[in-house]
Amino acid sequence: MAAPSTPLLKDELDIVIPTIRNLDFLEMWRPFFEQYHLIIVQDGDPSKVIKVPEGFDYELYNRNDINRILGPKASCISFKDSACRCFGYMVSKKKYIYTIDDDCFVAKDPSGKDINALQQHIENLLSPSTPLFFNTLYDPYREGADFVRGYPFSLREGVPTAVSHGLWLNIPDYDAPTQLVKPRERNTRYVDAVMTIPKGTIFPMCGMNLGFNRDLIGPAMYFGLMGDGQPIGRYDDMWAGWCTKVICDHLNLGVKTGLPYIWHSKASNPFVNLKKEYKGIYWQEEIIPFFQAVTLPKECTTVQQCYLELAKQVKAKLSATDPYFTKLADAMVTWIEAWDELNPTGDVAAKLPNGAAK
Amino acid sequence: MAGVTPLLKDELDIVIPTIRNLDFLEMWRPFFEPYHLIIVQDGDPSKVIKVPEGFDYELYNRNDINRILGPKASCISFKDSACRCFGYMVSKKKYIYTIDDDCFVAKDPTGKDINALEQHIKNLLSPSTPLFFNTLYDPYREGADFVRGYPFSLREGVPTAVSHGLWLNIPDYDAPTQLVKPRERNTRYVDAVMTIPKGTIFPMCGMNLGFNRDLIGPAMYFGLMGDGQPIGRYDDMWAGWCTKVICDHLNLGVKTGLPYIWHSKASNPFVNLKKEYKGIYWQEEIIPFFQAATLPTECTTVQQCYIELAKQVKTKLSAVDPYFTKLADAMVMWIEAWDELNPSGDESAKLVNGSAK
Repeated sequence: MAAPSTPLLKDELDIVIPTIRNLDFLEMWRPFFEQYHLIIVQDGDPSKVIKVPEGFDYELYNRNDINRILGPKASCISFKDSACRCFGYMVSKKKYIYTIDDDCFVAKDPSGKDINALQQHIENLLSPSTPLFFNTLYDPYREGADFVRGYPFSLREGVPTAVSHGLWLNIPDYDAPTQLVKPRERNTRYVDAVMTIPKGTIFPMCGMNLGFNRDLIGPAMYFGLMGDGQPIGRYDDMWAGWCTKVICDHLNLGVKTGLPYIWHSKASNPFVNLKKEYKGIYWQEEIIPFFQAVTLPKECTTVQQCYLELAKQVKAKLSATDPYFTKLADAMVTWIEAWDELNPTGDVAAKLPNGAAK
Repeated sequence: MAGVTPLLKDELDIVIPTIRNLDFLEMWRPFFEPYHLIIVQDGDPSKVIKVPEGFDYELYNRNDINRILGPKASCISFKDSACRCFGYMVSKKKYIYTIDDDCFVAKDPTGKDINALEQHIKNLLSPSTPLFFNTLYDPYREGADFVRGYPFSLREGVPTAVSHGLWLNIPDYDAPTQLVKPRERNTRYVDAVMTIPKGTIFPMCGMNLGFNRDLIGPAMYFGLMGDGQPIGRYDDMWAGWCTKVICDHLNLGVKTGLPYIWHSKASNPFVNLKKEYKGIYWQEEIIPFFQAATLPTECTTVQQCYIELAKQVKTKLSAVDPYFTKLADAMVMWIEAWDELNPSGDESAKLVNGSAK
């Protein structure tokens, strides 16, 4: 229980939900989500009508809307893949985004109490991160914790938190080979920790239960080219996570992982997943070292500048791996152009709250 | 439990520094009794430390340390638990577990007593994953695995050199924090073991610590603290910074998290502030030093890495305070003493799999 109560931020946060089926899962989330504005991104057949449960305030976009709004730039938004959710980030006007999958439900903590995942994400985003030195007692800003002996005092202010990466009980986020080999494994371990991922360390980001500060890092949250007409799938959130972490490290922003948990109910089909991930299994062996070695020039002080520079490097260094990366690099640029068109306050919205980077 | 954790009773020594008594061992008896203890008695050597019945042990007081090391004994701290590293040096085992005499058996959330030693052994016997971050923590734990996006080529992991456990009840805070928050207790049981990523250093605590002596032993020098020294309570942290830099260089892993012990005694914060005072300022320079430290590829053994580090400490930190010149010299002396007492030379300190990275 937090000492002061966590602000609702109900006029500062949008919940972005990609869906192709229905939104029945929202009934379970109602106590926690009802105050918030939803942005529903309807994937797949635009003629299907997605019913939104009564009482929710929302805007809904299907493929026709995306094409209409972005025109030719719509090509950067994936079709037939939940990666399309990033369109929701782009059209949002709020400071914070929470995104969740439609097969994710309210989990219970070890005491049996329902977990308000959104509240925990807000706590994570409103408190600083500590990427510059490792704290062995995890998040020092949590109630009942602090920095340990040996933690430099000059680093105890922390840095602004850009991303809050939540986890999942029940069906864990495994890749296809692991799902095929261990179909019965369930994540039953509740780890009561929030922690900052250290600077210089990239991570495999999952989009199922994710919060971020759109002002601080929004333009980096492009979920790539997946699904229809693309050679790969299930690398959308991870691509965004690698780009985001490199940029956060450069701009001295923090990424947290850990609490909150949601209950992931549906195991996707591992045979289908293997088809989607197949090329990625090989490509990630090149992609990871690429991101681990990336450096951004000092002159890149906004997220957009960092992202465009990254796109350049992707094109230069990963195209040899596959022509897909040339397409992806171009789509990254298209994304930024579209973002800036739809968010014309330009630099102001994407710079750090305190001005200059680093 | 998937497999049964090996006892390793002939491969592991438990090193305990003490100045008071060893009553705490009674509570640990079910878990510690099979093991050989190395007691390092600090303070007045004429005091007799009673070891509870039934434990197999060797005990060293200051006279013993002086006798065994001769002039090199000056590298071993006096009137500070840092003297414990003498125990690491004289051990002949592959693994070390060290614990403070105010640390007791903790209970897990189900109320069951935690066998801390068993968890450390599990941690040390399974690989680490410093090269990429796994969001589900230790992938080798039962019921866990690598998550989607974790490169397959990295799933073998690297050998684990260090297992850093945590503490319930009295947390390991520095003096200012203790003064400001005297009532805070760590009640949060975090059910995770995780590898500290490569390139990230951390504040190591020696209260509940396991390590593979063959892989990293010579780096576990706890520095010059206590009597005649300008600083205290930086012993384990100094060892931790050196150890992590060397582990990163040699592609070894450092884990932190479980197991928990119950830390019963809060040290006096006024005394602690005196000890830590200079460190509060010095660590502002020390940390960037370690974060920037690189070791040449020619350094392929722990001793070589450590001697090189000592050189860099002397060059780069002496400007902060002459203490660091003394410390750098003591680091060299420590390695000389280590090699004398462990004359199998390179063998015991090279990586299990040969060449370093």
